Amino acid sequence: MDAKYIALAQMAVGGGLMGMAYALVAYGFQLTYAAGKAVNFGQGELVMLGAFTGISLAGSGLPYGVSVLGAMVAGAALGWFVERVAVRLALKQHNEGWILLTIIVGLFALSFVENIWGRDDRPFPVPWPAAPLDFYGISVTWPELAIAMGALGIMIFVELAKRYTMAGIAVQAVSADPEAAELCGVRSSSAISLSWAVSGAAAAFAGTVIGPVTTVGPTMAAALTLKAFSVAVVAGLDSGFGLVIAGIALGAAENLSGYVLGSGWREAPGLLLLILALALRPQGIFGKKIIRKV
Amino acid sequence: MKASRSILAVLLATSFSTVAMAADVVKIAITGPFSGGSAPMGVSMRDGAKLAISQINQNGGINVAGRKMKIELIERDDEGKNDRGALVAQEISSMGDISAVIGTVNTGVAVMGDKYYVEKGIVKIITPAAGSASMTQWSKAGVKDLPIFRFASHDGIQAQMVVEKALKLGFTNVAILHDATNYGVSGRDDLIEQISRQGGKLKVVSVEKFAIGDKDMTGQLIKAKSAGAQAILIWGIGPELAAVASGKEKLGFKVPMIGGWTLSMSNFIDTAGASGNGALMPQTFIEDESIARAKPFIQAYHKAYAVSRIPSPVSAAQGYDAALLLAEAIHEAGSTTPSKIKLSLENLKVTVKGAIADWKKPWSKWNPSNVETHEAFRRATTVMGKVQNGRVVLANPSEKFVLEGTAVK
Repeated sequence: MDAKYIALAQMAVGGGLMGMAYALVAYGFQLTYAAGKAVNFGQGELVMLGAFTGISLAGSGLPYGVSVLGAMVAGAALGWFVERVAVRLALKQHNEGWILLTIIVGLFALSFVENIWGRDDRPFPVPWPAAPLDFYGISVTWPELAIAMGALGIMIFVELAKRYTMAGIAVQAVSADPEAAELCGVRSSSAISLSWAVSGAAAAFAGTVIGPVTTVGPTMAAALTLKAFSVAVVAGLDSGFGLVIAGIALGAAENLSGYVLGSGWREAPGLLLLILALALRPQGIFGKKIIRKV
Repeated sequence: MKASRSILAVLLATSFSTVAMAADVVKIAITGPFSGGSAPMGVSMRDGAKLAISQINQNGGINVAGRKMKIELIERDDEGKNDRGALVAQEISSMGDISAVIGTVNTGVAVMGDKYYVEKGIVKIITPAAGSASMTQWSKAGVKDLPIFRFASHDGIQAQMVVEKALKLGFTNVAILHDATNYGVSGRDDLIEQISRQGGKLKVVSVEKFAIGDKDMTGQLIKAKSAGAQAILIWGIGPELAAVASGKEKLGFKVPMIGGWTLSMSNFIDTAGASGNGALMPQTFIEDESIARAKPFIQAYHKAYAVSRIPSPVSAAQGYDAALLLAEAIHEAGSTTPSKIKLSLENLKVTVKGAIADWKKPWSKWNPSNVETHEAFRRATTVMGKVQNGRVVLANPSEKFVLEGTAVK
């Protein structure tokens, strides 16, 4: 193959793999949106907290896998906490205060991290081999593969749990119709709490797989939240695996435009994509149009 | 009642005593990025300077016209941000009783903030910011009387050495990578100028930039690789330099990185890990206890801050020597007035024995057409360092004599 096309393919593949990280964070948005019609605008801070928790656990001598699990537990607790303190009351009162409140909790998390861990970026040690893999001239590193595998793994795991466990079915029932679910004996507040906890765990997991690629610092996820939200909106907040396609497309488009047009143009396609999607398909490219009968 | 009266008495007594003390101190400010991507340099510079100051204070302080005066420090974190740096400079220059300032790591901060010191005539020793613009801005403006001095091997020297090294290693095609800050852009210009000054024997096959915070450099590196670059000449700071090193590893692009002294930053060395080995950069100081001159300083620093490795040895040693030189200047001026300190810095009588060299009259009277008058370092006082297994060592061990050197200039 021509070197020029290999270079383009390299950029697209690298971007697409990072795009899986966007999809994973977007999946966290989707989970809480399905259950309680709210999202955590501090999701990026949960990613960052997850990464720092993982680094600290790994630094204390625990193996990588255990550190990741520990970070996910912490993330789940935090997700639950955000729902409990910032979202539940606002939703009960039918106001939009949760938007601001989740942002505020995120800002608190940021100050907390800056004071505990400091403001400097640090590497996240991983047990994977350092040498990259080569696919027909395209290099892929192990941490990049870990993002893709991890993101898919978490999504498949949660989607299966939603379909085949009692708790998962309860969450689905609540997301379809909270009142009907309550009548059938499902406590909707618990189902919503559960989905926030799972969303928090997914965010923390994202932190532990993104950290090895980007290094870990308080602002590591600042841009990530916005991109993941774009992915969620473009794909549709109830699109399931549509997120993966939108995430890969955004990541690849960013990298390609940075390469072809110059590094200053990296962010442009994502924004264009968002505007186009909102103009043409407001319910999301893979979203279902919901017709509400009053 | 009685108790409150006695408390009042104590308060009055202590307030008087601080007034009496205030007359016996010299106030010096240290500014730099103590957080963020440049923090290893800022923190090391600050701690190096504080080490010198605490040693001076332990010996009773500076003898100013027959009176022993202790040094009082004011520290400000500019976070490496230009706007924040300008605010810090405004604040310090309006305090009214600051004799001198040591610091600044980021060239952009010096460009944005130093005008406030120049307006008020406050002496500042820039260290370790190396970007050419922090001094050339004053020669371009034709400032006649400049209280700003530099104590760092500036980018002009560094670019010269980087180009010399690339030629010596026999390269003909190189890529230039730089960050989009004032530091990176002026570094790129210095490199291009040096290449033509040294006979234009290096062909620049690709010039690529990156932004602070970028983690993925594969795009820039693919372009450099496909253009046939045999080496990467690079100007940036730690985190992004590390991203370039790991991108090189990913692409199997095994060419050396030669660049500014920032390649010695701990956040480059630690983050890049094995992929950073072999990076070459100019250094004014190497953390190597086998260098007799450097040993006491290295040991004192390790002991004072309970570390086994200085985050940025060059910054620490320059901060230390800059503080010693400043103290000597205040002593020779016999005054804490900035204008008098400036005059004695321009004409130091005593040779100051530092961790880097014996400083014999490092600066002279400012001449706008020759910035070297306020630059302390020369090509001959700078060596090439190399990253090797988590530390910076001499690239060429035979250059050790430069760092042992007794009389400079």
